[in-house]
Amino acid sequence: MSDSTNPFTSPSGKRATCMEMLQLYLDGEVTQEQRAYFLHHMDMCMPCFKGYQVDMAIKELLKTRCCGEGAPGDLVQQIKAQIAQQNS
Amino acid sequence: MEESARPIYTEAEKQEIFDKEFLPHIHAMYNFGYRLTLERDDAKDLVQDTYFKAFRFIESFQKGTNAKAWLFRILKNSFINDYRKKAKEPGKVDYQEVESYYNSDDVHRQITPDLRVEALKDMIGDEISNALNSLDVDFRTVIILCDLEGFKYEEMAKILDIPIGTVRSRLHRARHLLKEKLSEYARSMGYKTA
Repeated sequence: MSDSTNPFTSPSGKRATCMEMLQLYLDGEVTQEQRAYFLHHMDMCMPCFKGYQVDMAIKELLKTRCCGEGAPGDLVQQIKAQIAQQNS
Repeated sequence: MEESARPIYTEAEKQEIFDKEFLPHIHAMYNFGYRLTLERDDAKDLVQDTYFKAFRFIESFQKGTNAKAWLFRILKNSFINDYRKKAKEPGKVDYQEVESYYNSDDVHRQITPDLRVEALKDMIGDEISNALNSLDVDFRTVIILCDLEGFKYEEMAKILDIPIGTVRSRLHRARHLLKEKLSEYARSMGYKTA
């Protein structure tokens, strides 16, 4: 595929690397055209396919294992009390 | 009625915005504070301070806009201006340097850490959390905003006051560093890497 048909190519003509395309796709930062191009590209590009599996797994792992720090139960009350005090 | 750039809220409206638009983000805010400071007490102070500022400057919040991004921006600024100044943080990385390295051609020749999905599936303990926490704070921040909180690049650029191109490159670099760390864990778990 020539770069002229690659919708990831910047206006200045700079070609996007596989990893750059993959990241944009992974983060949902692609246009419909870019999305179709990348999916087609991934079918033929083993590093992209493997990279996508790994990156997706990491993204999910982060989401499920690093969001667990819930605020302490009394924090909302403390915030409200502090604001009430300032307002009085 | 005269139009003004800033909304004037009544006390009741302020309370409503605060309770309905700001407070529901308390857990995400606390998690962000914790991931930045890595201390629960500091996270609590930071969140409390952020909400206090949010209430004080509530007039500059436009109802119906993204409250979460607005709050995250205040927290990030409080962290940099108040917390980071007080905390002794030796050996700060120069990001200009890191990013110009990243943007050079060398980066395309860097080897992507070999990491398998099977190894990741076995990371059921604190590996991913520890790997994230081990990253330098600016790299950690972009991963938190993007992968944990699901902010778009444009929102991240506003929260962090950096151009979108920098969001992309910093995120790319941060993920590379995270993978290096996870590869180390995979090796120590007995997974062979190339």
